[in-house]
Amino acid sequence: MSQTQAAPAAVTAAPAATQPGVPATVKRTPQTEDTPRLLNRWQLVAVLACLLFAALTAGLQVLSWHANRAAADNTEQLVRVQNIQSTLFRADALATTAFLTGGLEPAEQRAAYDDAIETITRQITDAAEAQPADREALADLSAAVTDYNATIAQARANNRQGFPVGAEYLRTASTGLRDTSVEGSAIPIAQALVAANAERAEDELGAQHPFLILLPGLVALALLWWVNRQLARRFRRRINLGIAAAAVAVAALTLVGTVVAVVQAGNNSDLRDGDYSTSFHESTARTAANDAKANESLRLISRGSGQVYEDRWDTAAGVVEDNASRQTRPLWDDYATVHQQVVKLDDGGQYDAAVQLATTTGDEGSTARLDAFDARSQEIISTSGAATADALRSGNTGILVLAIVTLLLGISAAGLAVWGIGLRRREYA
Amino acid sequence: MRKLALALATVALLAGCGYSDTKVPGAVKPEAAPPASSTPCTDTGNPTRSYAPLAGGVPSPDDLPARSTMAKIQQRGHLVAGVSADSYLLGSRNPFTGVIEGFDIDMVNQVAAAIFGTAKGHVQLRVISAADRIPLLQSGDIDIVARNMTINCARWDQIAFSAEYFHSGQKILVQKGSGITEAAGLSDKRVCAPAGTTSLDNIQKLAPDAIAVTAGNHTGCLLKFQNGETDAITGDDTVLAGLVAQDPYAEVVTGQALTDEPYGIGVNQDQVDFVRFINAVLERMRSDGSWQASYARWLKPSLQTDATQPTPVYGR
Repeated sequence: MSQTQAAPAAVTAAPAATQPGVPATVKRTPQTEDTPRLLNRWQLVAVLACLLFAALTAGLQVLSWHANRAAADNTEQLVRVQNIQSTLFRADALATTAFLTGGLEPAEQRAAYDDAIETITRQITDAAEAQPADREALADLSAAVTDYNATIAQARANNRQGFPVGAEYLRTASTGLRDTSVEGSAIPIAQALVAANAERAEDELGAQHPFLILLPGLVALALLWWVNRQLARRFRRRINLGIAAAAVAVAALTLVGTVVAVVQAGNNSDLRDGDYSTSFHESTARTAANDAKANESLRLISRGSGQVYEDRWDTAAGVVEDNASRQTRPLWDDYATVHQQVVKLDDGGQYDAAVQLATTTGDEGSTARLDAFDARSQEIISTSGAATADALRSGNTGILVLAIVTLLLGISAAGLAVWGIGLRRREYA
Repeated sequence: MRKLALALATVALLAGCGYSDTKVPGAVKPEAAPPASSTPCTDTGNPTRSYAPLAGGVPSPDDLPARSTMAKIQQRGHLVAGVSADSYLLGSRNPFTGVIEGFDIDMVNQVAAAIFGTAKGHVQLRVISAADRIPLLQSGDIDIVARNMTINCARWDQIAFSAEYFHSGQKILVQKGSGITEAAGLSDKRVCAPAGTTSLDNIQKLAPDAIAVTAGNHTGCLLKFQNGETDAITGDDTVLAGLVAQDPYAEVVTGQALTDEPYGIGVNQDQVDFVRFINAVLERMRSDGSWQASYARWLKPSLQTDATQPTPVYGR
């Protein structure tokens, strides 16, 4: 820079002509043109172009890296909240089915119910730790689950004494779980959590922008080309080595960055349609399947007036059919076939046989069939959810490395531009 | 350089920013249920009068009149009865056996036994709400309703009734030691009754400052009572007896009932032959002591008074 400052402040055609050996490099310029000042200005343009390119491209790459990390976290959170939702319905299905059995609740069903509640409680804690934005909703959900569990406990206590108010507690708990007419019901909160996390995960999955990565590079290249052109016009050299080297670095980084972004966007799109979608849809199917089983029991508890629950079963069945994977769909169909037999028996006046088919733990009953669906479904959700998060995390460090390389090479490109213009400045001096 | 700093700051800010809080959905209020209907009624006669029982008493199951309603039911193989499954002692599901039982269910079984010879395997109980009783009878989905249903003039315009099989009356259930001894003492107290019934209107005539609380049914009111959401429950003494039997901290205010609630078995308006048949069954229950046996088994331990089968009124 001291060299630039040492250069004469004003240059005219006349003094240029008086300096032998130099005139060939100096283009005819208007009388007022101040070449060192112009060189300063072009250098500033070239340096800013390189630095802004480096900062913006590296920034976008950091955002892309962050988006992938966030997508992985959000997918895991989505799997968690969907599991909470499914497990809530599962707990309700277990409670209502146990009630239908009559007499004392079978020990294994009681244990399964307790396990379900424990899973929900633990997952609520995990979820609150993982996503601060969900904390308030999860606190409300936790309170709703506590209420539900307390009401089921009252139902059980009254049931053990043979009091029909036990059935009312059960119905209140079951209806309260799904009640949209009061604020703070568990299922509407769980649904809101699922919707919010699905939106977050999908937004982050779609946060790779190859065209945006291309933009700073193109602008920088255009500016470098312009600077080179200005230099060429004044110094009669078509190519300035430093500017050209900077342009090559910018072009290479832009190309690599764009290719990486295109590939990443493609991978994320495949993931969204693949493992992520499988996990999301299978979870939706699992939730609806457990809802259906709870409604099957409520239908039988309502004994002949359960059409409202049968309608809910139909709605839930539609959701399962739309969302279940190829692996679980046959298991759902197995269950649905037995459910239709339950309906046929109940409608045909064989209530006891219908209850027997719905509550038996044998393979022929609807409980075992639903359990088979639920277990397989859980496996698929766990595998595909983990696969989504792993895919997003693996190779993601590469994007961060690329961002650092882009930043460093971008700064180097600025240095090259300074060096290139420095050559001209020396020639001029 | 300032631009660069700004850009870097923006990137850092964007990368580090969190999400907005997940919104907890608000309440979606459903449309309010219509109030209990109070259709004006023109019949000034005694509403409990029914059709005279079949001459010659209850026919044997092998000898039911051809093409009669009873014969059709027999052909179908089961009697479909609308009942309650949560009115303890009248019609409720026994949690140990899963069987619906009670005083009203005994009435259903008597009618089924008269048609089939035995009730076993010939009764299909449909648990219905109070609001479903008349529509389901009118549509023919159910043959009879035995669900603590009060005979009144307005209902006679829509369905038919058997002769009165139990005489009940509206009373009040309160917490033991509450000091409430009459309906007037319910001022500023919360009183629960099922939505869509007229019980609360009767209370508010005597205690205008009473606060109405509703639930889906009387057992729902007991749940609210146990959870401290209501101070009292009002309803028929039979129903309240069933609630008291489930809660040692509750008692029914003794004394005169606020209303008369004559219970009848509901039947489709067009099936007069069936009403006559049921009335014959009720007459048989009086003479063979089965009504007394049912009363002694279900209601007497809680109501703690003797009762006799109401004297039937015919002439419709």
